[in-house]
Amino acid sequence: MAGTVIGEGLTIEGDVTSEEEVVIHGNLRGKLTTSDAVTVGSTGVVTADITGSSLSVAGQVTGDVTASERIDVQPGGKLVGDIKASRFTIADGASFKGNVDMEI
Amino acid sequence: MAETSLISRGTVVRGNVRGSGALEIQGRVEGDVTVTGDVLLGEAGAIRGNVSGESLTILGQVQGDLRGTEAVLVERGAKVAGDLSAPKIGIATGALVRGLVRTDGEPALAAGRRGAVTGQAMRSGGSFQKSPARAEAPKPAAVEPDSEPPPAKEERKPPPPVVPALSRGTRAKKKKSREQE
Repeated sequence: MAGTVIGEGLTIEGDVTSEEEVVIHGNLRGKLTTSDAVTVGSTGVVTADITGSSLSVAGQVTGDVTASERIDVQPGGKLVGDIKASRFTIADGASFKGNVDMEI
Repeated sequence: MAETSLISRGTVVRGNVRGSGALEIQGRVEGDVTVTGDVLLGEAGAIRGNVSGESLTILGQVQGDLRGTEAVLVERGAKVAGDLSAPKIGIATGALVRGLVRTDGEPALAAGRRGAVTGQAMRSGGSFQKSPARAEAPKPAAVEPDSEPPPAKEERKPPPPVVPALSRGTRAKKKKSREQE
C-alpha cells in the first residue's frame, strides 16, 4: 500500500507521525516521525526534525535527521542539520551542512 | 499542481494541512484542512478540525465544520459532528450528522432578502429558530401596505389593543393586507 504522499502545493504545519512510508513533494514544517522510509522529492521543502528508517533527499531539508538505516542526499538535494545514521551518502551535486554521527 | 496527496492509514497529522490539489485522508488529522481541490475522507479516516475544499466526500469521522465550494457528500457509515455548508449537500442513508446544514451559493434559494435574513440568524444564533427571523423579515415588506391603511386604522377603533402586540400583531396585519389585496 502506498504510504503518505504530500503533493506539490500542499503544506502541513505540525507534527506528522506515521507507520508507513512518507513521500513529500510539498511543504512540511514541524516534525516528522515514521517507522518507515522518508522521501523528499525535488519540489519538497521540509523544515522539521525527521526520524525514520531511511531518508532520501532530492529537495530541501532543514532539521536534524535520525535514520535507523541510511540517509542519501540525491543530486540537487540540500540537507542542513545534524544527522545520525549508519550509512550516509552525498551525491555529486548535492549539498550538506551539519554534523554526522555514524555510530562507530 | 493538481496532484493528489494522501495521508495514509497509519499516519497522524497534528497540525494544519493547506494548499492546492486533491487530498485523500485515510489516517487521522488533528487540525484544520484547507485545500482548493477535492477532499476524500476514507472509512478509517478521522478529522478533528474544520475542513474546506471544493468537493468533500466523507466516509469517515469528522469533528468540525465542513465547507465545500462545490459539494459536501456525507456517505453511508460516516459520522459528522459539525456544520455542513456547500451549494450541494448530500447525506446518505446510514450517515450520521449532528450540526447545522446549509446549502448556499445558489441563486435559486428564494429571494435575496430572505437569504440574507437566514444568514444573519445562522451567524448570530446558529439554531433553527426560524420564527423570530421570519417575524423580522416581513416587517420591511409590511411597511409598504401599512403606509396605506394608517388613516383607516384611526377610523377603525376596535382593533387598537391588537396593535401593541409583538410579532403576532405584525403577522396579523400582514394577513389582513393580503386579504384586502
